[in-house]
Amino acid sequence: MLFIMPLMVPLITFWVVPFICSVYISFTYWDYISPSYHYVGFENYQYMLEDSDFRQALLNTFWFSLGVVIPTVGLGLIFALLLHKNFAGSQFYRAVIFSPWITPTVAVSIVWSWVFETKGGLINGLLTKLQIAPIPWLENGNSAMVAVIIVTVWQAIGWTMLFYISALNKIPVSLFEASLIDGCSPLTRFFKITLPLISPTSFFLVIVNMVTAVQAFDQFQILTQGGPGGTTRTLLYLFYQQAFEQYNMGPAAATSLIILLITGVLTLLNTLMGKRWVFF
Amino acid sequence: MTMQSSDILVGNSQGKADARLDNLGQIPATTGYVDSGKTRVNCKTWQKAVIAKHVSLIFSGFIMVFPFIWMLLGSMKSNDEIFSNPLHILPEHFHWENVINTFQLAPFGLYIFNSFTVAFFTTLLVIINSAMFAYAITQLRFRSRTLLYLVVMACYMLPGAVTYIPSYIILAKIGLIDSHTGLIISSAASVFGVFYLRQVFLQIHPSLVEAARIDGASELKILWAIVLPQCKASITTLSLITFITEYNSYLWPNLVITSQGRNLIATGIRQFFIAQGNYGLNWSQIMAASSIAVVPLLILFIMCQKTILSGIADNGVKE
Repeated sequence: MLFIMPLMVPLITFWVVPFICSVYISFTYWDYISPSYHYVGFENYQYMLEDSDFRQALLNTFWFSLGVVIPTVGLGLIFALLLHKNFAGSQFYRAVIFSPWITPTVAVSIVWSWVFETKGGLINGLLTKLQIAPIPWLENGNSAMVAVIIVTVWQAIGWTMLFYISALNKIPVSLFEASLIDGCSPLTRFFKITLPLISPTSFFLVIVNMVTAVQAFDQFQILTQGGPGGTTRTLLYLFYQQAFEQYNMGPAAATSLIILLITGVLTLLNTLMGKRWVFF
Repeated sequence: MTMQSSDILVGNSQGKADARLDNLGQIPATTGYVDSGKTRVNCKTWQKAVIAKHVSLIFSGFIMVFPFIWMLLGSMKSNDEIFSNPLHILPEHFHWENVINTFQLAPFGLYIFNSFTVAFFTTLLVIINSAMFAYAITQLRFRSRTLLYLVVMACYMLPGAVTYIPSYIILAKIGLIDSHTGLIISSAASVFGVFYLRQVFLQIHPSLVEAARIDGASELKILWAIVLPQCKASITTLSLITFITEYNSYLWPNLVITSQGRNLIATGIRQFFIAQGNYGLNWSQIMAASSIAVVPLLILFIMCQKTILSGIADNGVKE
């Protein structure tokens, strides 16, 4: 008992009890200031389904996580393939590629907001030099989303690469030898041996990156604040606005439970598939 | 021409294959099917492949660290220079006074001190309680320990957002809103810490613990004197990861802390960013502020990069 209490006390106070409270709040109408809760049943959820802001946020979350996961996993794999063997300088390259993860998202997002600035920003400056019309990165819905995705991918590649490196180094050497004797080309070897053997890791990385992307907040707040016109408002950002800008605690709690539903399904998928897909 | 290029292609692929075997050190580089004439070509193309690899790595590595370089150099430029020549990489003069001025505009020293304090004590608590909990569920026999582990793991998929509103109310009820203590205890339960240390403790040989128990050591003593010294590396990695995550955290501290003087660095630089934005963007000072926030962690990373990188890659865990 002595051993589990130090963890269980904060865990129950700040995770388990709040979770139960959130479920309750999502069935009420409450503005945080008034002492009484109005029980409204499923009204918050019903309202949510009809709310165009919610549907937009759901779609944005979907596109954002997809836009983050595919390049992160792809580029992470490419870097891992280049770096999984030790050679002079490999450790240095790994550190360089991993370094964005270390730094505070808020601070680096501020730097990126300068890079993306419409007038006087680095990217538009370069585009002008190349005689391409500048893009109002953060003032236009689609390009604002692209900008946030770039920042997120930039921070996430390092983790993904490290996982791929450890997976690649676990592939038995004998398999490569066998394929060499059979005269396989490197490309065949990659698609027939490497890729299938690291597929469990890929699946894991897709899921984990998706769960992280669904919960991304800092870069949105700095770069776009959900704008322009809600085009980069994800579910978490909608939750933040409902709860801490409008003080509509009921709908906010309902939104947060939808986020839980998404991450929960992804995590369960990961656990179930993880059990079935272990090759080595 | 076509002949040549196809030859290079073939040579290239075999060169790579040989290179791979070379590194594995299993089979000699020249396998039976390559005649000596071709080997020379292979050597050359192999070198080419290595150079191409390094060039592409240097290029992409440069892109990855470029925002940091841009930030540091930007903090050294004057605002006039930034607006007149936005594409100049190197500043004309190094304006070190930017950094000093920025320190005077907002209490960044205090913010960093706050962040370090909160991150340090959170990390300390996380290590202690995760180690104890992981020890209990791996080395002690009692009923319901699987159940306990499942409860903790279920919290793993709980997004922070679900807990923010009620946690805020709970903190307010016990009078710890706007205090560092409140921030520390509300982040003190780390599911990731339990998950990570459980994997590490499972690898400890049970006979060691048994032997100590027979010698009459208390469970706490076993954990402290036998288990922990064996996993120093993992404990260090976990501490670093927890510390970095706490230092970088923004949303929850931003909600809990309301008074200026108790702000953490992430909130501090955001407020500075907004304040500077109000009178036309003062990029050089904003970059100086970002550098102030980022540089301590970059230094920490440079000092500990080996531990962090190998700790993550070897254990195959993710936050």
